[in-house]
Amino acid sequence: MLEFLRYGFMQRALLSSVIVGTTCSFIGVFVVLRGMAFAGSGLAHAAFGGVALGFLLAVNPLIAAVLFCLGTAGLIQVASRRAQLRMDAAIGVFFAFAMALGVLFIGLMRRYDARVYGYLFGNVLGVTQGNLILMAALGLVVIGAIGLLYRQLKFLTFDEEMAEASGLPTAALAGLLLGLLALTVVVSLKTVGIILVEALLVTPAATAYQLTHRYGMMFVLSWITSVASCVAGLVISYAVGIPSGAAIVIVATVVFALAALFSPKRRKCKVCGHESGA
Amino acid sequence: MADSSVRFDRVTVAYQQMVGIENVSFDLKPGEFLGIVGPNGSGKTTVLRAVLGLVAPAAGSVQVLGASGHDIVHVRRQIGYVPQRRPLDPQFPISVREAVAMGLYPALRPFRRPTADDRRRVEAALVSVGLTDSADHVAGHLSGGQQQRLLIARALVPEPRILLLDEPTSAVDVTTRFAIVELVRRLHAERGLTTLYVTHDVNEILPCVDKVLYINRTVRAFGSCEQVLNRETLEALYGGPVILVEEGGRRYVVVGDSHA
Repeated sequence: MLEFLRYGFMQRALLSSVIVGTTCSFIGVFVVLRGMAFAGSGLAHAAFGGVALGFLLAVNPLIAAVLFCLGTAGLIQVASRRAQLRMDAAIGVFFAFAMALGVLFIGLMRRYDARVYGYLFGNVLGVTQGNLILMAALGLVVIGAIGLLYRQLKFLTFDEEMAEASGLPTAALAGLLLGLLALTVVVSLKTVGIILVEALLVTPAATAYQLTHRYGMMFVLSWITSVASCVAGLVISYAVGIPSGAAIVIVATVVFALAALFSPKRRKCKVCGHESGA
Repeated sequence: MADSSVRFDRVTVAYQQMVGIENVSFDLKPGEFLGIVGPNGSGKTTVLRAVLGLVAPAAGSVQVLGASGHDIVHVRRQIGYVPQRRPLDPQFPISVREAVAMGLYPALRPFRRPTADDRRRVEAALVSVGLTDSADHVAGHLSGGQQQRLLIARALVPEPRILLLDEPTSAVDVTTRFAIVELVRRLHAERGLTTLYVTHDVNEILPCVDKVLYINRTVRAFGSCEQVLNRETLEALYGGPVILVEEGGRRYVVVGDSHA
């Protein structure tokens, strides 16, 4: 059963799935509760520009993607705060710009390199030792920052206006969240790819949201769902011979559907008797 | 004026070239209760935001607990703020106790958990507003009046010296409205708070206030109830004839043939 773990590439694939599943599950709680799904999608597309730049300049495409995503996140934050533009409009402007740069960089390459397109759908079996180290480092930064500012981010997410009135630096915290989201996108690029990363940013946390009324428990359930979906998807893709990114997302979506179907939130609240009407 | 709790000196606040308030001056001593009245868009909330240091005056100066300008940020944790209530998301995964404890978070250093004393303050705030029995309920499952009590409890947790309330009785029924006013009056008296209370309904605050600020961009009247709430001022406030009724030692304002 576990014979596939004898292969080095499968061990790296499994480890990368756990890293990606963990990182996405934690930031995903904020993506779901703060309505940042479009930001996740936008930053994922912005990563394409960074990957293309990396191949054009012959530097590590993940490093280039980190810089590109963080730059795009910064531009979105500045545009939405300083130009008083709605966040979704700012995202729309800059993710299309970053994608256009990606297309431009590909056009500037002297010869066609199919590896660029590998980042669109991910290739978990192609994760290298170097990729793993970078993913683990970025994942630790994301999880460490969330742990460091757990309560402050909770207040920001629940009631941003009150958090600001209470003296929390809400603009800085919101910008930090966007930056952490950008790093998470890069962590996930090799495993699920630009197109499918959105699913891991949203689906496990959305599943947890169906199952609990407790904020802390939402992180736990999101993590369990996410890592389980990543590992199960990887194993299924190996057993059946289908693309791993797609398998991971399909498993996560099935779990979400089951959670939504049997969500205790659809029943009368056991504590106070409140009926959601959902 | 060093003993002022809140002092506005010819304060003008503008938003994107639009004047929010203009040349506003008033002075509150520690422990005083100020009712702020005025029509919609008259700048009542802007006054509260200026006290919090969330908007910077284009002219004049705001002093709060001896701090002014950027230094107001340093005294913000001594100010409890109850914003205009928006219904809480019934699905947001957070309990009443957690929502109240958020009042502590701005003072918490990263990685630091609330101490036993912090937890005691949360429980005390829950007791003060009568939400102990609902402490483990989902915050968004509370009724409108209970959600208002939650916001008041959260404002009390840092044990503030100043309490700001922005239309705390909007969108609640009449019974709940008077219960909330009574709660605010009791907290003000018990804790010696300097209280600024924004409302549309003069009758609501008549039993509590020491001073009234009637504002419509600029100060139309400021002083004691007797000085401000005369027929002339009230008719300007409500835009029509009013009747002042004295009953059981209390004054009520009736607008036209309906209660104000």
